[in-house]
Amino acid sequence: MDILIAFITGLTTGGLSCLAVQGGLLASSVAHEVETSIAHGPKQQAWQTRALTARPILLFLAAKLVAYTVLGFLLGGLGSLLQLSLFTRALLQFAIGLYMIGTALRMFNVHPIFRYFAFEPPSAVTRYIRRRSKLGASVVTPLFLGALTVLIPCGVTQAMMVVAMGTGNPLAGAAILGAFVMGTSPVFFTVAFLATQLGSRLETRFMQFVAAVVLVLGFVAIDSGLNLMGSPYSFANLSQAWASPAPAQPSALSLVPTAPAARPTIQVPAVAITAIPPARPTVQAPADATRTVPPATRTLAAPATSIVSDPTQAPTVASPTSGNTILTINIIDSGYQPAVLQTEGGQPFQIKLVTDKTSGCSRAFVIPKLNIQKIMPATGTALLDIPSQPSGSELRFACSMGMYTGKIVFK
Amino acid sequence: MIVKQVFRVLNMYCSTCPMRLEAIEDELPGIKRVKASYAKEQMIVEYEETIVTEAQIRTAVEEKGYGLELKTI
Repeated sequence: MDILIAFITGLTTGGLSCLAVQGGLLASSVAHEVETSIAHGPKQQAWQTRALTARPILLFLAAKLVAYTVLGFLLGGLGSLLQLSLFTRALLQFAIGLYMIGTALRMFNVHPIFRYFAFEPPSAVTRYIRRRSKLGASVVTPLFLGALTVLIPCGVTQAMMVVAMGTGNPLAGAAILGAFVMGTSPVFFTVAFLATQLGSRLETRFMQFVAAVVLVLGFVAIDSGLNLMGSPYSFANLSQAWASPAPAQPSALSLVPTAPAARPTIQVPAVAITAIPPARPTVQAPADATRTVPPATRTLAAPATSIVSDPTQAPTVASPTSGNTILTINIIDSGYQPAVLQTEGGQPFQIKLVTDKTSGCSRAFVIPKLNIQKIMPATGTALLDIPSQPSGSELRFACSMGMYTGKIVFK
Repeated sequence: MIVKQVFRVLNMYCSTCPMRLEAIEDELPGIKRVKASYAKEQMIVEYEETIVTEAQIRTAVEEKGYGLELKTI
């Protein structure tokens, strides 16, 4: 993942979701200064109050930036020693999603039980901070609290931590988390600064907005986890299936008997299938819409008939030349083209990945079922050897964050 | 005599509210220990009743923007 993407993620989603989780710490670091300024009362000018408010926020953010950059360095180093499996990453996404949904429900004040989704610094830590700040070291409090945010990373930050670990390089990990936190900083600063100026009613409204965003992000994280597990029930895969019906999906023309393999739940050995006549009656479709093969002559080994009525929605069909099938997937910033491919089952084939100045996280290509992970350069090609897959099955692929998906359908 | 009292805290809206509440440890003489919990919406106060009263604790908490109710254990 590019450093720029990490920065933009921080600037957009990261800033809000992290604010929801870590906002309390920031508020308490600012609170001391605000209380001080109130205590000084009318003796102070407005600009002095603003400066007093801005200082702890800046200190908090600076400490946070340093702490996370160090964390990124350590995670990158750890990643070089330990490679997270796709399954572990998917579980992590689920945990992140549940945590974010719980946090959002807490912020909406749905039920007191969701209060357990908030991290409370241990009393010993808070007592230490309090005593230090009372000693006049007011600089220490926001610095300490800023660094403490490492202990309460929000969902998006946790995802970035996984990415940092995934780089397998301490410097790259530090750069990813550093850029991400830098991206979140303007949002943190603006909101924290305005919150102290706007009053509590507007702040409550804003926090409800943040809660709504966090709720959506929670579902997105769970969806990513489903994608990383190769589940067909993720939102992305369901909408993909709905938008472009694959051969396995019933459609107006699917009454035409296709190979039994079109029913993915039935896994019968190929030899047996060749002898079984189709269970459903033949309905002859117009010749120009679809080309059928008489059932008796059809076997699994024969190329299946395309039943897609809309040519613009047709999945890419691989060259039927057996033994040396290569499916080409173009990796672009916004996903994979084509996202649905079709090939013969029962024979090994190759996937050719092509990038051309691609900078999105789509470059990190994974096939969960086969535990294949391939991080592509910004521009380049790579060939992946895929073992034979049973006809009628599907092989789902995604980016390593589960954001972009696609599938290969085996006839 | 040291008294240990459990209070239900109202309007505790964030996870760092306990930090603010526990600060009365240093603000009121006679308070031995305060342990506040955001999740449980409560605070446990240990205090010397000959030095500080329950009413004084309530006032100190209310000044911070929270409400206080005595909780029966």
